[in-house]
Amino acid sequence: MSPELVFQQALNGLSFGALLFILASGLSLVFGMMDVVNLAHGAFYMLGAYVALSVVQATGSFWLALLVAPFALGLLGFVLEPLLLRRLRGRHLDQVLLTIGVSLVIVDVIGQVWGREVRSLSAPAGLDGSVTLIGGVYPVYRLFVMAFGVALAAAMGIVYRRTRIGMLIRAGVQDAEMLGALGVDTNRLFASTFAAGAALAGLAGVIAAPVFGVQPGMDTDPGLLYSLVVVVVGGLGTLSGAVAGSVLVGPADTFGKVLFQDVALAVIFAIVALVLLLRPTGLLGRIRIAR
Amino acid sequence: MGGFGKNELATKRGYTYRLTRRQFLVASSAAALAACGPAAITPSASPSASPGKELKIGQLLPFTGVYAELGNSMRRATELYLKLNDQKLANRPVKLVYGDDANVTATGVQIAQKFIDQDQVDVMMGVVPTPLAYGIRNAVHAAKLIFIDTNAGGNALTRDTTDCKPACKSPYIFRASFSSYQISYPIGDYLSAKGTKEFFLAYANYGFGTESAADFTTGLKKNGGTVTGNVAPPLANPDFAPFVTQIKNQPTKNVYSFFSGADAIGFIKSWNSLGLPAAGYKMYGAGFLTEQDVLKEVKDLANGAVTSLFWAVELDNPENKKFVADFQKAYPLLPDVFAVQQYDGMRALDEALKSLGGDTSDKDKLVKALEDVTFKSPRGDFSFDKSTHNPIQDIYIREVKTQNGQTVNTITDKIAKVTDPGK
Repeated sequence: MSPELVFQQALNGLSFGALLFILASGLSLVFGMMDVVNLAHGAFYMLGAYVALSVVQATGSFWLALLVAPFALGLLGFVLEPLLLRRLRGRHLDQVLLTIGVSLVIVDVIGQVWGREVRSLSAPAGLDGSVTLIGGVYPVYRLFVMAFGVALAAAMGIVYRRTRIGMLIRAGVQDAEMLGALGVDTNRLFASTFAAGAALAGLAGVIAAPVFGVQPGMDTDPGLLYSLVVVVVGGLGTLSGAVAGSVLVGPADTFGKVLFQDVALAVIFAIVALVLLLRPTGLLGRIRIAR
Repeated sequence: MGGFGKNELATKRGYTYRLTRRQFLVASSAAALAACGPAAITPSASPSASPGKELKIGQLLPFTGVYAELGNSMRRATELYLKLNDQKLANRPVKLVYGDDANVTATGVQIAQKFIDQDQVDVMMGVVPTPLAYGIRNAVHAAKLIFIDTNAGGNALTRDTTDCKPACKSPYIFRASFSSYQISYPIGDYLSAKGTKEFFLAYANYGFGTESAADFTTGLKKNGGTVTGNVAPPLANPDFAPFVTQIKNQPTKNVYSFFSGADAIGFIKSWNSLGLPAAGYKMYGAGFLTEQDVLKEVKDLANGAVTSLFWAVELDNPENKKFVADFQKAYPLLPDVFAVQQYDGMRALDEALKSLGGDTSDKDKLVKALEDVTFKSPRGDFSFDKSTHNPIQDIYIREVKTQNGQTVNTITDKIAKVTDPGK
C-alpha cells in the first residue's frame, strides 16, 4: 500500500467509524441507563431512514428529514417504553426478547408501508460534490459525516457531564433504584432515555442513508450488527466506550476488508474476540460482570 | 387449543411457567391433529392428474427478507400470465400454492418437502437464491417432481458434476432463467475479441459472484485477455468506498463487476463520488448491475456502463412490447428481468401441457414435452437445451444511457443462441 492509498483508506475508515458512532450511541445510552440491550435499535435505525426517504420525497429537503426522523423516532420510543418495556422492568432478559418482537413488527410494517424494494437517498445539495485531497478527489459528504460524528460526541459529552439531565443519566447508570428513592421520577427518566436512544437511531438512519443505502435487511446489517460490535468492543454503556469502539472498529473493518478480503466477514468478529480476550469489559467498559 | 388452558393459572401465579409433561403431550398432539386434519379427511387428496382437473403449482419464492421484491415481481408475473390465459394452463384450471422461503435455505427446503408430501403439487416453480436451488435438488429429483427454476443461476444445477457436488442436473429440473456462465462468459469473449483485453475484477464474494467472475475470466482469456487483479467485498456490504478506493489506486482502467440490488447501488454511487469516471475508469458487468431496480436509484450515475443480459425492458420485439404493455396495464410499474424469467417458466409449462392435452400423469412424457418446447419469449427465441435443461438464449450487450430524462439500457449488440457448456 502506497502512502496515498493508506491515507485514503484511513479517511474511509474514520468516516465509517463516525457513522458507526452515530449508529451505536443510542444503543449504548439505553444500555447504560436501563441495562437493556435494545435489539430493536437496528429497526429504529431502519425506520429513521425510511421516514427520511418520505420526507425527502415530499419536500426535497434532507435537512428537514434530519429533524423529522429523529423526532418521530423519539416519539415512538417515548410511547413504547411505558407501553411495553416498563411492564417488564427488572426482567432484563424478557425486555431483550420484547425488543426483538418490536423490531420484527417495525420491519414488517416498513415492508407494508414503503414496500420491499431497494432504495437510496442522495447526499444533500452542497455536500454531494467532491474535493481534492492527497491522492485524488474525496466525497464531501464523508467529510461532513466525520465532522458530524465528532460534533455529536462532543455534544453528548457536554450534556453528559455539564447538565442536570446528564447528571441524572449518570446517576441512573450508577444506581437507578437509589435515584428513585431520592425522589427522581425514574419512570419519566427511563422513558426519556429510551426516547433519546431511539431518536439517535433515527438520526443515524438519516445520516447513514446516502452511504449505506436504504433497503430491506439494513436493520440487522449494518444496523444492529455493527452497533452491537461497537458497543461490545468499546465497553458497554458508556459514551467514551462508544467513541473508542467506533474509532477502532471503523478503520479496522475498512483495512481488514481490503487486506484480507477472503475472510472479510470474519475480520470484524476477530476484532471483537481479540478485544474481549484482552479486556473482557471492552476498551473503556465499566466492570459490571458481577451483577 | 384447550391444552394451554391451565397455563393461564400458572401465568397468574408468577411470570414464568413450565409445561408439565402431560400438558405438553395434550397440547402437542392437539396441534399435530389440527395440522394434519384437513389433509387426512379430504377424500380427493390424491394427485389430480387427468385433463381438466385442477393443476397445482407450488411457488417457492421469498416474500420477506432481502429478496422479497424479487418474489413479489415473480408472483406478479405468474398471476399476469394466468389472468391473460383464463386462469388456465392448457385445459387445466390452476391452483397456486405459495411458500415464503424468506431467503433462508433451511426454510425453503422444508417448504419444498411440504409441496411434495402434503400439498402434492404437480409442478414446482420459483427459487431465487442458488444455495436453496442446490439444497432442494436431491429431494425434487427423488420425488420426480417437475421443478422449473425461474431464477437461481448457479451453473451446477444444469450440469454433470463430480459426485453431484454442489448439485447436478436432473431430468426433472428445468431452468427458465439463465446459468451464471451465460451472463458472464459471452461478454468476456465479446470484449476481448473487440480488443479490450485488460480487466480488473470487482465482485460480491459469494458463490454466484465468484462463479460469474471466473466465467468472465475464461471468456476473456479465450482471445488473449488478462485479469490484473480483483477486489471482492462480502455480499450485502454496507460501505463500498474502501473497495472503490482500491480500484482507483491500480492502473487497469476497465473494471468488470458483479453486483446486484443494494450492492450495485452502493458500488455505483461510490464509483462516482470517488471520481472514477473522471479518472478514466470504465464500468462493465453482468446485467444485474444495471437493471431497473438499480437504475431508478442511481440514474445517470450509471451512464456508460456496459453489461450483458438475456433481456432488457427496452428490447425491441413484438413479444416484449406486448409483455411490457400487459404488465404495465396490470401493475403500476415496469416489469423486471425476474418477472420475465417467471413469465417464461409459466409459458414453457403451458406449451408443454398443451402438447399433452393437459395430461400430467406420465412424468417422463411431461419431461419430453418440456424438452421440445420452443416459443418466442420477450427475450427472443426460447428453448431448453435437451441435454441440460438450461435455456438456449440470445445474450444482449447493453450500454446505459440517459435519454429524455430516462436512464435505460440501450442494446448495442447481440450474441445469438448462447448455450451453457454443460453436457
